[in-house]
Amino acid sequence: MSTLRAWLTDPSPTSRRQARLGQSYLAWLRIRRNRLAMAGLVIVGLLLLVAAFAPLIAPHDPLVQDLSRRLLPPGTPGNLLGTDDFGRDILSRILYGARITLYIIALVAVTAPVLGLLIGTVAGYFGGWVDAVLMRITDIFLAFPRLILALALVAVLGPGIGNAVLAIALTAWPPYARIARAETLTVRNSDYIAAVRLQGAGAGRIIWGHIVPMCLPSVIIRVTLDMAGVILIAAGLGFLGLGVQPPMPEWGLMISSGRKFLFEQWWVATMPGLAIFLVSLGFNLLGDGLRDVLDPRSAGK
Amino acid sequence: MGLIEIENLSVTFRAKGREVRAVEGVSLTVGERESYGLVGESGSGKSTILRAICGMAPVTGGQIRIGGEALRMPRGPGFSRRVQMVFQDPYASLHPRHTIDRTLSEPLAIHRIGGSDAKVVKALTDVGLPASFRFRYPHQLSGGQRQRVAIARALMLEPSILLLDEPTSALDASVQAEVLNLLTRLREERGLTFLMVSHDLAVIDHMCDRVLVMQHGRAVEELARDDLAAARMTTAYARSLFEASADRMLDPAKAP
Repeated sequence: MSTLRAWLTDPSPTSRRQARLGQSYLAWLRIRRNRLAMAGLVIVGLLLLVAAFAPLIAPHDPLVQDLSRRLLPPGTPGNLLGTDDFGRDILSRILYGARITLYIIALVAVTAPVLGLLIGTVAGYFGGWVDAVLMRITDIFLAFPRLILALALVAVLGPGIGNAVLAIALTAWPPYARIARAETLTVRNSDYIAAVRLQGAGAGRIIWGHIVPMCLPSVIIRVTLDMAGVILIAAGLGFLGLGVQPPMPEWGLMISSGRKFLFEQWWVATMPGLAIFLVSLGFNLLGDGLRDVLDPRSAGK
Repeated sequence: MGLIEIENLSVTFRAKGREVRAVEGVSLTVGERESYGLVGESGSGKSTILRAICGMAPVTGGQIRIGGEALRMPRGPGFSRRVQMVFQDPYASLHPRHTIDRTLSEPLAIHRIGGSDAKVVKALTDVGLPASFRFRYPHQLSGGQRQRVAIARALMLEPSILLLDEPTSALDASVQAEVLNLLTRLREERGLTFLMVSHDLAVIDHMCDRVLVMQHGRAVEELARDDLAAARMTTAYARSLFEASADRMLDPAKAP
């Protein structure tokens, strides 16, 4: 174990692989020192575990209704977080809902930022009419209220989780494009870009290998901050009958169905709300820690 | 016939209806293995000439020939293997998120040259850096070390011409001398041709066989090294530049 650590922390690594593994190990040490980031990592890790093992942990089937036990308060024996208006166990529904939430988050987080990064860096790097055309398209997307645009897309594509994700991704990329373009403009005239251009690098290589790494930290922060919004938009689509369809246990859908009894049976909407809050908090903390790790300059000597 | 021939070069920047003539009708010839200096105050157009050679400035007149061939736009891969540049500020010319290894192996990857492992290590030792620096980031290096990395990067493709844009002006005096000596040694070992820009005649005197004095984008006077050392300049501007840095000339005969 200690020889492995010595190998990883060797200040003069002998191969690229050792250097890369060493860098990852140092990054891990850095994020471990950051308590808040670790808290975020624990929350996100828990979400992953819960999603993976939901059938083993959940005390009840999330879809089975029992109208004799509807709207029971939290703490009832057998129903730790209470039941909803159809007598379904809220805890089980939250545990299963983690799967759908994670699925939506993962798909949106993979597609929207990548699309935004691509459009923003290309617009910023080439400038001129490419920039003008791409940024006007971005402006048009930004000018629409997000939910309305997502609604229009789902209306065309048809309801369902896949289409809801697609609609959210297609409406979420413009802010990333804006950020990426702004960062690109600050680095495109720097000497290190001029140097690699002088070495004969093509535009694709320069954008992907040299400009995107400079934009990544701010985009990653934005992604983690947007996660809560993504969950809520997915919920909004579900509420309007265009996203996740009932009786699927999705957190946003659970909140909107609990709205009706918010004052008498507060737990129906509050419990999934707490779950969303906790997961968003986890992503935010983790994102903040990741930014520190991704920037080698903040590492100290 | 010279290796680099610049004939009547003009560079004009246009921005919002205003025109700035950075270089006007400058001609110069640099022979093979020669070290040629461009000197002048800030804004005299000396760096712009280097950028024009690299295709990074809008040439509006005249011609640049390398080895007898006129340069085309865009500069092709052949140009990259022939001409490389060292930039002024070593803090800005290395990618902050790439390790030294990545920075040095990038030109090899672009030109699909194999064996980058051994070549990177050799390039580091050639510029006097230990091989253990290979996987460090630029922020872990001092200014002089960074400039050595930048020089190593410029030499990765084994060019015959090195354009030097004030390569030592961002460095301490003691580090300056080290980097200049390194450049002199590399030029001797590899038979490089230098085109060097500086505002410091003392540096030019130390490095260059011939020097062109520039002012306001125009060539004022060309001097051989002997003329410079003996202060045989004919124009008042060149003389005033000389007098401003005469006490720092590295010529032992002139030392107090």
